[in-house]
Amino acid sequence: MFAQQLVNGLVVGAVYALIALGYTLVYGILQLINFAHGEIYMIGAYVGIAVLAVLGTMGLTQTSLALSIVLVFLIPMIYCAAYGITLERVAYRPLRGAPRLSPLISAIGMSLFLQNYVQVVQGARDKAFPNLLELGSFQLFGAYVNGLQIFILILALGLMAALQLFIKKTKLGKAMRATAQDRTMASLVGVNVNRVIAVTFAIGSVLAAVAGVMVGMYYGIVNHHIGFVAGMKAFTAAVLGGIGNVTGAFLGGFLLALLESFWAGYVSAVYKDVFAFMVLVVVLIFRPQGILGGSGEADRT
Amino acid sequence: MRKKLYSVLTILTTAVFLGSAAHAATLKIGVAGPLTGDQAAFGEMLKNGATLAVEEWNARGGVKVGKKKMKVDILWGDDRHDPREGVSIAHKFVNSGAAGIVGHFNSSVSIPASTVYAEAGVVQITPASTNPKLTEQGFSTVFRVCGRDDQQGEVAANYIVDKLKLKRIAILHDKTTYGQGLADETKRFLEKRGVKPVFYSGVVQGDKDYTPVLTAAKQKKPELVYFGGIHPEAILLVKQMRERLGMKALFMSGDGIVTEEYYKIAGKSAEGTLITFTPDQTKLAAAQNVIKKHRKRFGKEVGAYTIYSYVAMNMILNSIQATGSTKGAKLAAHLRSKAWNTSLGKLQFNKKGDVLESPYVLWQVKGSKFAEIK
Repeated sequence: MFAQQLVNGLVVGAVYALIALGYTLVYGILQLINFAHGEIYMIGAYVGIAVLAVLGTMGLTQTSLALSIVLVFLIPMIYCAAYGITLERVAYRPLRGAPRLSPLISAIGMSLFLQNYVQVVQGARDKAFPNLLELGSFQLFGAYVNGLQIFILILALGLMAALQLFIKKTKLGKAMRATAQDRTMASLVGVNVNRVIAVTFAIGSVLAAVAGVMVGMYYGIVNHHIGFVAGMKAFTAAVLGGIGNVTGAFLGGFLLALLESFWAGYVSAVYKDVFAFMVLVVVLIFRPQGILGGSGEADRT
Repeated sequence: MRKKLYSVLTILTTAVFLGSAAHAATLKIGVAGPLTGDQAAFGEMLKNGATLAVEEWNARGGVKVGKKKMKVDILWGDDRHDPREGVSIAHKFVNSGAAGIVGHFNSSVSIPASTVYAEAGVVQITPASTNPKLTEQGFSTVFRVCGRDDQQGEVAANYIVDKLKLKRIAILHDKTTYGQGLADETKRFLEKRGVKPVFYSGVVQGDKDYTPVLTAAKQKKPELVYFGGIHPEAILLVKQMRERLGMKALFMSGDGIVTEEYYKIAGKSAEGTLITFTPDQTKLAAAQNVIKKHRKRFGKEVGAYTIYSYVAMNMILNSIQATGSTKGAKLAAHLRSKAWNTSLGKLQFNKKGDVLESPYVLWQVKGSKFAEIK
């Protein structure tokens, strides 16, 4: 049972962590909670369905599975990146100098708008996400492990490593860190702050798109509402780890999912969410900046 | 300029008066259920069934109330299976002078909404809410054309004990009035027959990952997993049982999962699912006419609750015509007064507002469709 709950938790954790990164990246730079981020993830899942439908009619899913898998992730990533950048331009940039409450309300507004927009366009019914990867299962330490679960974990960990490298090693990553530290100063030394912010939104949205497609493949069912719950949990994960902190989002995502999984398995499935938020409250009482500390500390975004 | 303004105003006010005059001449019936949201599949059945009935009446010139014929106008209410929405819709219906209500779909919504309708003296017939409490509140104006979960739970429990002869049962529910109510009734009847469930737990509705609770259930080595709830959760549960945890236990549920989404999305994981539901309506001679009309009007087959909604709407309109009144007490008395010949066969209400006989039978998902077990 322990091994099985570990597997259950790790997969959900990978999804939470990928979405949490989007929250934390934006917060690190703009001190803004982008509440519409969960909807980007939901849109990613829908675009994935659309891509699969097109590939299916073209027959590509039969002839070239590898190419199909690349496309089913890549196209939603590009699409969502465009969504993220547009979101920032339309809803947040005009409010850059405004009091902090204004962009927050704008974010909630965008979240509601996107959710309802997708409901109107795509309908309110659950949509099936076609099963692309038929992977087998095997037993490991008494746990039932599916190939898809391993695929999801590897993909998520790979993306997180890539993000760390990007932030630490590239010039654009350095510009991001500089903007996070002091936006005015960064712009004075020649960093194109607007571009950096757009890139930040794009990266967050790309990760959310991957999470959306992953969840679609994993659960096989998508609706316009999935962004809300997932966004809430990912936001909690980001705060738990220390919002603004990339490693923290990562850690928070896995920690929250594992705690939920073990609690639901050993104690009570009914109070799963109660427990998740209780942990958040307790952690915030003792460490208001989150487990690893927020963007003010050493490991900045 | 001023003259122009006056003429515009005059036209506008006349239009408004004409509009409201035209409005006053119609008979308003409220239809409410989850028209959007994750349970919209059921909302659509409700909508199509009620629409079909009303269109037939209007094609015949409307309902005769006293001396004059009145066209029927449906007031739509989308409660999104949220009890709070349901209550506010109930108030809206009552305030707009609805003469009767077809709805709501979910027990958790129907029960609080019924208080509002009963206080206002508006007759309510639900096509689908099966929780016993609905008709146990002592309201004389509440009816249902479907069965009750204590009947359903008993049939499920007897089938498990007598036919399947299984001992290790895990019970899950979605914590809603309907889901938990049904699960508890099944549990009660199982225990009556000497089978004590090895696992019992609620799950969070709207969640996506149920593997933790299923893993815990798996430890108890159940031979059958019974779920009280609606299809979005049932799909995820059965998929995760089969695909994530390799559980071979049978999966059984109630009338809340009878939608094509269930077997379409859950695919081969859904095969073999056992369901308690009323006998196959599509085989009923009385239903053939509606089925044909529905196919012609909407281009698809009837759903699990389409005919129930059609019947509920017809009963209300018939009672209004027969009594020449829109008063709830009169309509309720008329509804109880006789055995109705409906598209679902003969129906008669008891004092509580339940149908006298409601034979639940066993169904199974076989070859990607629902089939009654003979």
